[in-house]
Amino acid sequence: MQNLESEYRVEMTGISKSFGVVSVLDNVNLKIKHGEIHALLGENGAGKSTLVKILSGVHQKDAGQVVLNGKEINPKNTHDGQVLGISVVYQELSLVNDLSVAENIYLHKLGASKFWMNWKEITNDAQQLINSLGFEIDASAIVRDLSIVQKQVVEIAKALSEDTKVLVLDEPTTVFDPTDAQKLFDNLLRLKKEGMSIIYISHHLEEIFKIADSITVLKDGVDTGSMPVSEIDTDGVIRLMIGRELKDLYPTRTSKIGDDPIFEVKNLTAKDTLVHNVSFTVKPGEVLGIAGLGGSGRTETAKLIFGADKKKSGTLLLNGKEIKTNSPADAVGFQIGFVSEDRKEEGVFLPLSIRKNISVTSFSSIAGKLGFISVDKEYANVLSLIEKLNIKTPSSEVNVKNLSGGNQQKVALAKWLSIDSKVILIDEPTRGVDVGAKVEIYNLINEVAQKGVGVIVISSDMPEIMGISDRILVMHEGTIYGELPKEKFSEENILRYSIGKPLK
Amino acid sequence: MALTIKEQLSSPGGILKFLIKHNTIFIFILLVIFSALISDVFFTSVNLSNLLKQVSGIGIISIGMLIVILTGGIDLSVGSMVALLAVTFAILVNTVVLPLAILLTILIGFGLGSVAGYLVAFQKMAPFIATLALMTVARGLGFIYSKGSPITFKTAGGEFMSNFANNSILGIPNIAIVFFIIVILAMVMLRYNVFGRLIIAMGSNEEASRLSGIKVNKYKFLVYAISGSLAAIAAIVVASRTNLGSPNMGMAWELDAIAAVVIGGASLNGGKGTALNTLMGVLILGLIGNILNLLNVPSYPQQVVKGAIIIFAVLLQRFESK
Repeated sequence: MQNLESEYRVEMTGISKSFGVVSVLDNVNLKIKHGEIHALLGENGAGKSTLVKILSGVHQKDAGQVVLNGKEINPKNTHDGQVLGISVVYQELSLVNDLSVAENIYLHKLGASKFWMNWKEITNDAQQLINSLGFEIDASAIVRDLSIVQKQVVEIAKALSEDTKVLVLDEPTTVFDPTDAQKLFDNLLRLKKEGMSIIYISHHLEEIFKIADSITVLKDGVDTGSMPVSEIDTDGVIRLMIGRELKDLYPTRTSKIGDDPIFEVKNLTAKDTLVHNVSFTVKPGEVLGIAGLGGSGRTETAKLIFGADKKKSGTLLLNGKEIKTNSPADAVGFQIGFVSEDRKEEGVFLPLSIRKNISVTSFSSIAGKLGFISVDKEYANVLSLIEKLNIKTPSSEVNVKNLSGGNQQKVALAKWLSIDSKVILIDEPTRGVDVGAKVEIYNLINEVAQKGVGVIVISSDMPEIMGISDRILVMHEGTIYGELPKEKFSEENILRYSIGKPLK
Repeated sequence: MALTIKEQLSSPGGILKFLIKHNTIFIFILLVIFSALISDVFFTSVNLSNLLKQVSGIGIISIGMLIVILTGGIDLSVGSMVALLAVTFAILVNTVVLPLAILLTILIGFGLGSVAGYLVAFQKMAPFIATLALMTVARGLGFIYSKGSPITFKTAGGEFMSNFANNSILGIPNIAIVFFIIVILAMVMLRYNVFGRLIIAMGSNEEASRLSGIKVNKYKFLVYAISGSLAAIAAIVVASRTNLGSPNMGMAWELDAIAAVVIGGASLNGGKGTALNTLMGVLILGLIGNILNLLNVPSYPQQVVKGAIIIFAVLLQRFESK
């Protein structure tokens, strides 16, 4: 009975998905009507992107049912999704830099229909499409030469270049200023009137209340409810997004926090990223948490301090003395350590042994003047760290690529524990790590702090950052929006600051 | 701790695994046995000493190539550098005292390598492009300084070098001893020195190296400078052997050096390779040439066989990494 139109265009029911042992979505429902803008909300890692990727065919669901226009669908890849009329604008841009705007917009059609391309027609069509969105971009320009805002517009145009029935936008306005954002909203409202169903993912609650008709909130892979926007307010949404109990994962903080700061950051501003006017202090023995949404500049701030990104202005003080970190080598020289959030690309050397991974930062203590490594000292150092961190491995000669995520993360940490660091920056200490290893890593952070090190932890995991920090800074749009002392720790407060709202 | 050889052999499928893991050494041994069986001349001291003399020049630049390849780079300029530096050495031998001529040649090699290092490390030029450009520049300069013809040694210093290069100690040619010393130095540096650790780390993950506080640019610069210096030593060796410096020397040696490093199991992506295996790669290539010469195979079929061996060796390594 295909003609019998359902009230909903998209009905996702009972969707479950896990990656390995990690369950990302558990029995999630999402229903979207014809001509509706439906907001999908949730913290980082709540499963929003995975849900959308199941709809579009990037991932395959483990259980559940996806129904489009009353017919069950099972897209196996994004092409299947596109054919069904589902287009997604992802957070990370997916344009080909060396091709023109028009070529990018019609990339999926190139070579599909005819042997010869009619470039004039394609460029004209692309130009019309962009003009209809109200932005000024030359369709024959090369994408590489466009600004990030223009690239985002091209990405949206690309999604609309087909016969799109369901449009998904994942944080489309992060790069937009208010005027551009307003243009986008006008377009979305127009498309909605034309009958398109739009799924809108955003952290900006004010946007949601401006344009969305209804919302669905995800929390740790479970949907905590769907309702029309008219029936809820900002506080209600925040309540749905949080509301989980702290588990007994976190160690009792026992370290004595010193009086004078070990490390001070004053008005730090980046040259190439959005980070600006960041100021804070860390005391010896203190664990300082930095929270904020993805894209708020947390990682960039850490890299700026560590000298991996270029600074425009600002001062760093270590034990009251000014230091300059123009490169990571400088920072290491001042005994500052940095554990990257991107373990595989930036943290460990996958093809090398545990021993070679750990030793890479500690040559000053294991090698002599001419750089010859003392084998005894090296093994003593490495084996004691393997034991101390409880890295599960048959020997120190096992290549790091053969270890589990948790053990890899411990190797990344061990690199900085083998030297006497004064300050350690840890970006996402437990991403992709199982619960057992998490507890061990938390205890380790606690121990490091006890030695009088200033520990700065960046985390998207709210219970985690509240569980291990003495104080939390919350970043919003490239700078520190607010600071929370321990007695004010709550997911609601962190979330309020991270979306740029004052506390209640 | 690493498993002992005995443990490796006694584990299930151990012998096969052991053979695959050390395939370059076994290919080498098989080739030696094969050569000895099919040619009576092979195991004569004259032939073996000739073989060693022939491979020493390429062998020395192969070690430089290995160090560059370990960082994930490549140095195409070394063959032409050998020509330019051989000409340079011949001119210097005829004009200044020998120790100074040797020292200056090595310094010039270091300087030329530094140009490549500067372009790659500080100007972020692709190693392939930077050294390709230097390759043609060096070859051109070699022809300019020599006016297109070989320059023969005319002084007592030249005669000394020529004698040195053509004599042996205990049956081992002096120039092969120079080569072996360089191999041993490289083995020690790569295995026990911080320098070796750092370039292997850089080759396996450059960004992680940078974020571990390694001065990546400095070491990138250094490996090309070392490769240039080794090209200078190779140039001195080959010029002394023939008593002259010619701009036609070292033709396509960079490719033989890359082949030797690759046969030795190194990865062109960086981070993997050892000096001992590169030595094996050099000897394997030399052996193939030698035995085919003994069998009177003309040089064109020789090239085909060499190419086939490279493909075979790399396929074997893929098997190993599984």
